[in-house]
Amino acid sequence: MARKLLITVDHSKCVGNGTCLTIATHVFEHNWDRQSVVVNPEGDPPELILEAADNCPVSAISVKDAETGETLFNSVDRRQ
Amino acid sequence: MVDPSHVSPLTSYLDDIFAPEVIADPHAWYRALREADPIHWNERYQVWFLTRYDDVVWMIRNNELFSSAVIKNDPRPPYPPIDPGDMHLFEPARQFRSEMLVEQDRPEHLEHRKVMRGFFTPRAMEAWRPFIRHAVKELLDQVGSKGRMNLHAELAAPLPVRIIVEMMGVPPEDREILRDLADKLLYLNRAEPYRLQPLTQGIEGLMEYVRPKVEARLREPQKDFISVLTNGEKIGAMTRHQVMVNTALLLFAGHETTMNLICNGMLAFIRNPGQWALFKSDPDKWADSAAEECLRYDPPVKSTQRIAAQDVERNGKLFKQGDRIRWVISAANRDPEIFPNPDGFDIARSPNPHIAFGEGVHHCLGVSLARIEGQEVFKAMAERFPALRLDTDQLEYQPSVQFRSLKALPVTW
Repeated sequence: MARKLLITVDHSKCVGNGTCLTIATHVFEHNWDRQSVVVNPEGDPPELILEAADNCPVSAISVKDAETGETLFNSVDRRQ
Repeated sequence: MVDPSHVSPLTSYLDDIFAPEVIADPHAWYRALREADPIHWNERYQVWFLTRYDDVVWMIRNNELFSSAVIKNDPRPPYPPIDPGDMHLFEPARQFRSEMLVEQDRPEHLEHRKVMRGFFTPRAMEAWRPFIRHAVKELLDQVGSKGRMNLHAELAAPLPVRIIVEMMGVPPEDREILRDLADKLLYLNRAEPYRLQPLTQGIEGLMEYVRPKVEARLREPQKDFISVLTNGEKIGAMTRHQVMVNTALLLFAGHETTMNLICNGMLAFIRNPGQWALFKSDPDKWADSAAEECLRYDPPVKSTQRIAAQDVERNGKLFKQGDRIRWVISAANRDPEIFPNPDGFDIARSPNPHIAFGEGVHHCLGVSLARIEGQEVFKAMAERFPALRLDTDQLEYQPSVQFRSLKALPVTW
């Protein structure tokens, strides 16, 4: 069984580029402000979710193992 | 309709977007525009100006309502006017421009962006940091002992070309050729009436340069950016012409924008010695937030354009389908509703949700590269030239409504 993921989108960073929506199509959607939100964390395989996080142009997505808390996608963004 | 008897001196001031004083100090003009009429119809150039942060972000995130295919969807002649004798050059230049990623709408835009985005991820670009740091060092080594330099010509202009040449996967000996072609391509967004002449030379020269490189990579792919695009052709996402045009786009889009980030940022530091002192106290600590503040305070791109894809109303104003709309980054970035003390240069500013890279589906593909270039340049300048000061009292900017481009930046130390 695939492990459960805790996926968060930092709305102070999200620019509404929509890249994540085009990779993990069942996981992310745009809200009314055109920022990404997680609608179904189990909607796509973990590999696709990690690919979406990696391709986010502003590193707004973080991914952790929901049970262990282990960080699965570590943002390279060093901005404060 | 505007009643001519009601056209105030303010309106005529607000409509003269190419006035020398507006080119010299656009921020005062943007402030006046934002305060007087944040969604303003510029009668003189037949174009809307959006200057409030909320309006701009709303517009550029709603890509279905506002088309980026600006050149393709605008039947009107370009502004400001071009020399009538050059009109035959307009159509080829328009063809070239309309194939660029930045001028496309979905679904084509998404297919092309999918081809390119993997090359530009934050992680992939971070791997370029050592190369960029070394390129900055090499360029500064050449000027270090002179005691003065034109920061524009000796650092800001050669640096992005050096990096793009490496990314394209072409030999370093070709730097001068590509820099010359890049300089000509920059006329794409200039105001000079003769601009189509150098632009056409740039387009033709670059197509000629790129063609054999593209053919070679179709036969034998490498790990470079041209191979990323030729792969796009192989999978049927791009035409050959689009491969060549988007190679040119890399050279064009990564060139002047980076030059402006470096020059406008360094000028902001020089004019704000307290902030320069703070930055120098710990460049590693401040590099990231300082680069963001440079991008907010005097952004490389002042404004750019969309075309209304349908009739849309906003705050009582009606954009009609086909209307031209300029969204002013430099004005949104100093909107007091979002940024406290907006005209102050504050490298510790946090949060700093500036929109120097745009927003939405067209958010700058090279964002991570630009950030790294800015951070590395500012750090290197602080470490090597801490006593930097301006070596002129006359600064001139290119007459562009789009780019905030210094013509030269003489400095001494």
